[in-house]
Amino acid sequence: MNGQYASLLIALPLLGAFFVPLIKGLGKKAIKTYVLIITAIQTGIAAWVFQEVYSTGKPIIVIAGGWKPPVGINLYLGYFASLFVLIVALASFLMAVFNFKAVDVEPIDKYAMLFLLLMLGATGMIATGDIFNLFVFMEITAITAYALTAYNKTGEAAEASLKYMILGGIGSSFFLIGVALIYGATGTLNMAQIAQLAGHINPTVAQVGLALIIFGLAVEAELFPLNAWAPDAYQASPHPVTAMFSAFVVKAGLYAMARVLYLMSSVGTWHNVLKLLVVMATLTVVVAEFSALRQRNVKRMIAYSSISQVGLIALAFALGTQAGVDAGVFQMINHAIIKVLLFLGVGYVAIQLGGAEIENFRGLGKRMPVTAFGITVGAFAAVGIPLFNIFWSKLRIILATLQVGYTWAAFLVLGASVVEAVYYFRLIHTIWFEGEGERISESIPLVAIVVALVILVIAIGIYPNYLWSISQKAGSDIFNVAQYIKNVPLMGVGA
Amino acid sequence: MSVPHISAFYFGSIALVLIGLYAILVKKNILKMLIGLSIMETGVNLLLVSIGYISGRSAPILSEGIGPNQAVDPIPQALVLTAIVIGVATTAMALSAVIVLYKRYGTLNVEEIRRLRG
Repeated sequence: MNGQYASLLIALPLLGAFFVPLIKGLGKKAIKTYVLIITAIQTGIAAWVFQEVYSTGKPIIVIAGGWKPPVGINLYLGYFASLFVLIVALASFLMAVFNFKAVDVEPIDKYAMLFLLLMLGATGMIATGDIFNLFVFMEITAITAYALTAYNKTGEAAEASLKYMILGGIGSSFFLIGVALIYGATGTLNMAQIAQLAGHINPTVAQVGLALIIFGLAVEAELFPLNAWAPDAYQASPHPVTAMFSAFVVKAGLYAMARVLYLMSSVGTWHNVLKLLVVMATLTVVVAEFSALRQRNVKRMIAYSSISQVGLIALAFALGTQAGVDAGVFQMINHAIIKVLLFLGVGYVAIQLGGAEIENFRGLGKRMPVTAFGITVGAFAAVGIPLFNIFWSKLRIILATLQVGYTWAAFLVLGASVVEAVYYFRLIHTIWFEGEGERISESIPLVAIVVALVILVIAIGIYPNYLWSISQKAGSDIFNVAQYIKNVPLMGVGA
Repeated sequence: MSVPHISAFYFGSIALVLIGLYAILVKKNILKMLIGLSIMETGVNLLLVSIGYISGRSAPILSEGIGPNQAVDPIPQALVLTAIVIGVATTAMALSAVIVLYKRYGTLNVEEIRRLRG
């Protein structure tokens, strides 16, 4: 089949979102089913792209409007992008199932539109090959995320959303200044051509532009000084949206950051930016773990845990080596699985028992055994216990960090994992060994998702090699910039 | 026609960004913070346009007497057009959140809006 059909990954959610108002009159259930069908088709297309890219070993380059890059905009679906587009689609699909239980606040048609547009934005951020197009998709993701955060219409939701909007507004302005500087220096917006020209531009301009872009993306990617919005937004937004934020919105930001970072790797002052990022990432891990320790709200606690895992990924990407990037990609996949599992479980408990306060989790093992089991496996995996998936990715990240010589960073990150163990084991203790309760019947589709994810977590934990080889391929897609430039058919216009 | 030297445009636009940033960081009233955000976006847009400016050339609309060699760089103008729309959408979104916030909390002072913490 023609690779240009991969543009449906962008077109389908967009069309889907535009048609929501037309079926608005059919009722709540119809709209939720509609979202489920669209996300299922999207998953199918993403699976096809994934299969196509991994079997031929060649990236799919979608050329918009027949204008060859760098004149036109191109989408670059290489190993990495095809993998993560699949993860985005799958996570959205699972959350579309969860929507049936979780979202009762009106207006559901607007929710469905924003839900599809969030999926579109993340897909676009991962697939695009043009730096301004990246900005536009980032803003689509961000604006839908602002709106979805405020969707519950409580005071808390508006507060969280405003914090997010102000930080996100500053971040996107800085990103745009960075784009302006890089455009001014190179005269191009195409990522492959920027990478080609990166060695020749003034290193100071390149450093400032790169730092501004990283700073702007760090808001989406929840790195330390700019992540104050995240716990609030996670706590206040609807449960499926929280899982989507954690499973792929953050990942899209991180990926964009890693992509832009490595594109500029031939700039002389590149290592200064890497050092800055290592410090930010380590601080993210440490600060988030200690903040999670004193949370009473389980959703907020897991939000902080999510931030710390994201810090680990950023650390891996900031190492500047092949091993680090591979480990970072591996951790991204594992973390997406774990956080869908945890936020699904916790969200479901919060719906059934009215709130995610830790008191509601007492005796959960007796009241909702399967969900409780899912949360427990997710917690074990998040801490990084052997036989669960995150153990392998954490191990790889620590090893890669030591290889580069950042012993202090590895030490701090490992220390933070001990803190992580404390609060997760406290949660597990509350679930299984405290309190009494009546059995509540659990919904079958949700239980099926929980069980499937638990099996996936343990399967990856026991047989990590298959996924590891995929992550290595995806990692080389980011790290090997020369190959990336060669893959994009540049017309040889401009400077 | 005398046109100011290009550095005046850069200086002005960066100054606008800094003024906006100052307002966001220092002001206590959320509406004033949002005004700061808008000023900052304006500054960024002006910076983008001035990057594409080539001294002495006219608007990139090809018509009689104006060929490609007499026009300024058209790409930043497309970027700015997009960025302006995005900025307006963000502002509209933020203002609607401010309305909800005022209804629920009865204040717009950021120091009093602290229900989510920890």
